[in-house]
Amino acid sequence: MKGFVVIALSLLVIGCSTTDAQDRDESLADEGVRLQENDQTIEPYTEQTIAEEFNLDQDTIDQAERERSKSSEITPASITIPTLDINAPIVEVGQLDNGQMGVPDNGDDVGWYEPGTKPGGIGNAVLAGHVDDRTGPAVFFDLDELEEGDSILVTGEDGEELEYVVERLESYPFDDSPVDEIFGSSDTKQLNLITCAGIFDRDVGTHDERLVVYTSLIDDEEDEELQPSSPTELTVQGTLLTWHAVREDHVAGYRIYSVDAEGTETYVASVSQTERKAIQMTDEQENYIIKTIDYFGNESDAENVTVAE
Amino acid sequence: MKKIKKAFIPVLSVALLTPTFAQTIHAEESMSQVNTPAIELRGTLDHLLSEHFALAVLSMQKQYDGDEGAQAAQEALEQNAADMKPAIASLYGDEGAEEFDRIFSAHNDYTAEYVQAVKDEDTAAQEEASAMLDSFYVEFGEFLETATEGTLPSDAAIEVLDVHEQQVEDAFIAYVEGDYETAYMTYREGLSHMFDISAALSDAIVQQNPDQFEGSVPLTAAGDLRSDVSNLVAEHFALATLSMSKEFKESEDFDFVSWAEDENTADLKATISSVYGEEGGEQFEQIWQGNHILAQSDYVNAVKNDDEAAKEEAQNRLGTFADEFGMFLETATDGILPAADATELVNMHEEQVFTTFDRYIEGDYDGSFEKYREGYAFTFDIGAGLADAIVTQNPELFEEEAAVPEMPQTGMGGTSDSGMTLQWLAWILAGATAGFVGYFGVRRFRTNG
Repeated sequence: MKGFVVIALSLLVIGCSTTDAQDRDESLADEGVRLQENDQTIEPYTEQTIAEEFNLDQDTIDQAERERSKSSEITPASITIPTLDINAPIVEVGQLDNGQMGVPDNGDDVGWYEPGTKPGGIGNAVLAGHVDDRTGPAVFFDLDELEEGDSILVTGEDGEELEYVVERLESYPFDDSPVDEIFGSSDTKQLNLITCAGIFDRDVGTHDERLVVYTSLIDDEEDEELQPSSPTELTVQGTLLTWHAVREDHVAGYRIYSVDAEGTETYVASVSQTERKAIQMTDEQENYIIKTIDYFGNESDAENVTVAE
Repeated sequence: MKKIKKAFIPVLSVALLTPTFAQTIHAEESMSQVNTPAIELRGTLDHLLSEHFALAVLSMQKQYDGDEGAQAAQEALEQNAADMKPAIASLYGDEGAEEFDRIFSAHNDYTAEYVQAVKDEDTAAQEEASAMLDSFYVEFGEFLETATEGTLPSDAAIEVLDVHEQQVEDAFIAYVEGDYETAYMTYREGLSHMFDISAALSDAIVQQNPDQFEGSVPLTAAGDLRSDVSNLVAEHFALATLSMSKEFKESEDFDFVSWAEDENTADLKATISSVYGEEGGEQFEQIWQGNHILAQSDYVNAVKNDDEAAKEEAQNRLGTFADEFGMFLETATDGILPAADATELVNMHEEQVFTTFDRYIEGDYDGSFEKYREGYAFTFDIGAGLADAIVTQNPELFEEEAAVPEMPQTGMGGTSDSGMTLQWLAWILAGATAGFVGYFGVRRFRTNG
């Protein structure tokens, strides 16, 4: 599943203030916040993608993914970071002629990279703010004080609020940042905050490091909302196990498991939504369960059937 | 939906197709009870009238969907009407046949106009086409009364035709509205109703011209058996070809066609069980489903995915099905249907199903419908041969015609259950159980599990 924003920034250089600024020498080396394992289910029985497992068109799934992502997207208007007592307006910035991400023209605003992902969408939304300006500390001056688990709130134009949680902080040399990781595609809903760090290099006219705060959306509604319904009308007809299709959007298919006397579930088969909703039962298992699977890998609750004697 | 509307005693056979085979069955008999002139007439009408229904529904769906095969479907429907003419001509002369053709062809046109009106959401045109269809069955009912010299009264004829038109319309409107369960429930009832029409019609014709039919009558136990078995086998063919194209195109109603197929399987199984007991029915079901119904579905997906290996595997499984089913029939009929002959006929049937599908997805719509009509007709040979084998195997069930009253014209009752066939089922079960006990080699198929 590829994100849809592909950004080809050759360099990530943020034009932090170019005049007298306090030299800062903060080491971020020991932040030690590790990226959490993303919680997407990888079925133990298959390394296949949903498209492969259910013989679906990958483009169709990608399209659905984009549409789903859009529903939670917002156009950001302001950012609040309670632990740092930050509350700042957000302005849209683009890409400069030299390939750099643009920045706000003052030290109070935070810039949202508008050609990229919107906050709330799947992928990496990027915000940048100055660490300092000509007169002193700017909006993201204390950004390096964030810790894993801190909350970042982004409010949209229409008042919608999204909550992100800090995953980790990383600092990179000003001319050698992993721009793909920061701006590129992602399967999850990320928000990355950027500011300058390190020592101000007067020869080059910029700080020698960039600080990136990686955060991810707290998306508690999603799982519940998107869990598909369970299949119905499970029927044993002779050696066939049949059921009725779940008529919802984005249903990829069904996974069938047999259940033995000890309650151990054994994967039997996957049946695509486009195929006949039937399998032939080949063993002496007495019970089967069927789960609906959607394009995004969400599973429904199991529906049981007992093979009548 | 109604459960088993008719009593069936299926076991596929083949007699009509292979003369040597038929001769084997009847080596010591003068004439089969399922092939009397009157029952042949009934069989011909069963075939052509039910095919009319199946093609009408197909044609209407395709026209509405703007399917590329719509024109070929309409032509097949017209060809079906043309095929009825010789039968009418042989009974009522060329003039009668022309008049029949005029009335009948016009109603196919009105149906097409009706579909177009629904598609265009033109309520006025829809009502007009509907009114034309109403006048059709009045006119056709009067034609039948005149032709049969009152043996088939026009009001009775109009009533059954009205039911037919309503079923065609209901199945179509439900399809348009996305109520596919109703659409295919109505399809099953509507197809079955055509066999009631042909029972009533053949009875009236034979009563009017007893000499032409050598004194034979259509509504006998053997005749009912042949008609009922043909109904289920023909329905299997119609639904199999339909579900394959629906699965290939990922049509919204595919699940409901496969559900109708499962209902058809259940009716076939109930029939087999009524003769050969539960175990016989279960063996039939096991053979019928995995390497046949599911393999057919797997074939469609193999074609869709361009997977030659999966395609070959599906075809091999169908070969296994033909072998197993042939053996099943030989055992069930106590050797009256030799396995090799039965297997060959099952293979022919499968070839017709698959060629209908293959040609359709290749865009050869005329060729596809040509094969469809061939395959549909073939199921009536299967039904006749099967019934023949059962009657031959169990003559005691079918020979006491004098003791059995002539059947009432229960086919005139619209969609109500046919008491006639249920009576027969009860009679067969009550009188014949002893004859069947222990003779079916159940164990023989266990190894396939």
